[in-house]
Amino acid sequence: MSTKKAHNQTEIIVTGFGGQGIILAGRILGMAASLVDKKESTLVQAYGPESRGGACNAQVIISDTPIHYPYVNTPKILVAMSQAGYDKFAPFLTPESILLVDQDLVNPEDAVCDSFAIPATRMAENLGNKMMANIIMIGFCTAITGAISADAAQATISTSVPKGTEEKNIKAYSKGYDYGRSTLKGREKRAAGQTGVMA
Amino acid sequence: MNNNDTKPLNILLFVCNWGAHAAFLTLQDQRRPIPNEIRMVRTPCTGRIDRAMMIKAFAKGADGMAVVGCEPGTCRYGSGTATSQRNTEDVQKVLDIMGLGGERIRFATFLPEQSEELLSFLQEFSSQIRELGPAGIQEAPVVPVSDAQTRKQELQQLVETYDIHACQDCGKCTSACPLALIGKPFSPRAIASAVITGGIHAEGVQENAWSCLTCGICYERCPSAVNFPAFIKELRHLYRQTELPGREVHGGIFHSLMRSQTSPDIVPNRWTNLPEEIRIDPQSPILYFGGCAPYYDIFFGKRMEVETNQILLDSLRLLNFFDVTPRLLPDEKCCGHDLLWSGDKENFMRLAQLNVDKLNDLGIETVITTCPECYHTLHTTYAEQGLKPNFKVVHLYDFLEEQLDKGAVGFDTFPHEITFQDSCRLGRIEGRVDLPRKLLKRLKPKAFTEMKESGNASVCCGNCAWTGCDAYSKAMQVKRLEQAHATGSDMVVTACPKCQIHLKCAMEDPYRREELSIELMDLTSVIAQTIRWE
Repeated sequence: MSTKKAHNQTEIIVTGFGGQGIILAGRILGMAASLVDKKESTLVQAYGPESRGGACNAQVIISDTPIHYPYVNTPKILVAMSQAGYDKFAPFLTPESILLVDQDLVNPEDAVCDSFAIPATRMAENLGNKMMANIIMIGFCTAITGAISADAAQATISTSVPKGTEEKNIKAYSKGYDYGRSTLKGREKRAAGQTGVMA
Repeated sequence: MNNNDTKPLNILLFVCNWGAHAAFLTLQDQRRPIPNEIRMVRTPCTGRIDRAMMIKAFAKGADGMAVVGCEPGTCRYGSGTATSQRNTEDVQKVLDIMGLGGERIRFATFLPEQSEELLSFLQEFSSQIRELGPAGIQEAPVVPVSDAQTRKQELQQLVETYDIHACQDCGKCTSACPLALIGKPFSPRAIASAVITGGIHAEGVQENAWSCLTCGICYERCPSAVNFPAFIKELRHLYRQTELPGREVHGGIFHSLMRSQTSPDIVPNRWTNLPEEIRIDPQSPILYFGGCAPYYDIFFGKRMEVETNQILLDSLRLLNFFDVTPRLLPDEKCCGHDLLWSGDKENFMRLAQLNVDKLNDLGIETVITTCPECYHTLHTTYAEQGLKPNFKVVHLYDFLEEQLDKGAVGFDTFPHEITFQDSCRLGRIEGRVDLPRKLLKRLKPKAFTEMKESGNASVCCGNCAWTGCDAYSKAMQVKRLEQAHATGSDMVVTACPKCQIHLKCAMEDPYRREELSIELMDLTSVIAQTIRWE
């Protein structure tokens, strides 16, 4: 019988175009989990033409116990920042998975699981640099899934981004995080039947 | 209510000359025991005792008031009885909110021969007032008339503080001033030169100083940055110290209300009848400060439909929407804005001190308000005047913008084409012209078109601090409404209860009602109606 403890193992796929900072996002997730949250983590990154502009992906596993196999077969969390990336991994989603997308770039048609959307790239552009969309996504992912702790995310971001951009990136992270919190709150409210002020 | 029980009570009795006065005379002739507290004033018609007069009597120390007129249908002038009943009811509501109790004023009717009935009414009313005790309003101190020498010194000080000598006499102020543009012989530049050359007490200058809207467009345009609105504020204070009266409108009712609230013993009774769904938390360190809207609704409700209190309720609903359950002060007093801006600095300071002490003592950390005047006064003026508030003052729009910026909240379509009337206090004076626009851009109206003069160039709604309203104010309001219509919009969104009252008033024009009329709604209410969790 398998002794695999799936319940405390979080398997994540981050996917998007090469150049969006997908690999960096994966690295930050994994490093935050292992170095700050003191869990185990692995990262498998797409290596090849993808990282130069095609659909690229980073596969991260976060676990309380040692990880024996680093590839992700059924992602518990799929973060999609391009339609091609989503199309590639959508078949692996299960009804228990959580899907996070950039709403301006991905149309999650008939996703089998719960999905959360954020206009990450647009928000990054408003902050002055669309390269920060990945960091916004990390904030969003942290708030929605709790895969890593907020403190770990912030600490890892400050040490992972180029020198001199820490403050901007932390701001981007907070934007994403707040958006995530707000989204969850919105769902809660809607579930409780309160959509508007007057309703 | 307070401890000066030894002070004899003061009950004013207004009696109609044509009816009940004869009954009162009979009582006097027959030496019947009229209660000692009663002071009778004979009037040609009780309908002419207006609400401002009633409130003023209380502000000057009356403990009770009986208005005794004629039976409905027997009024010599036709409508006196109905008017008086309505006035009394309105003042009862005001006294309730002020915490004095509406039962301190009563309307009654007696025929000339009903002297005994009148007597028992007076005895019963007096004993009721005796039971209630003194109203607790200490008459606001009259500003002592200062001597010419001191005034001169103060004026010099004023000229120095506001650097009036920096005026280059270029006239940009006058060419931008909405009052001058509408045709009033009014010129900020001329006032500035008059002050420098010692002509401050010339009749025209005084009239102009009271007419100024303090809207700040002159300051906006002045190349030497002479802060004209602030200067006018101080100049009015100087005028107060002469025997010159201010030019308070609406019979000075709002100034009387504000001055009454400077008495520490007055404990208002606000926020009654809150809709059930609004959640508040009496322990919260976040306080929502409402402002004077309920008083306005009572007063202006007589002639037109205004619901400025709706702004406060919608603000509370929006706070609740974002899970903020604020504290409310049942004994909330006026912020004092209109007292200060109409020259009554002494009473403003009394009110401001009471407010700051109260909020500090309660340990309030954040005060949220929607009224731009309350915001400016609490946020900026209190500190400027040397008070030490320990709390942060946040405009509701700031709070909303911060929350909306977090995302996941959207808006339903709003089925109107809208334009926006800036509030001068929030816009030019606080320099926050962009703030309401950020919110407006998030909304989904059919269309949003700015008026010809908008933002920093926006035109005032026609009046400030309830002083100096005249035909020119009306002309300005009409011009503004025409500008609103010219945008093709079907609704003017406002940001201040007073803008709403003043623009609405101009629409009451019997000859031009059709062409001026346009729907008004406060930005807060528009947001509250369309905001949605996504």
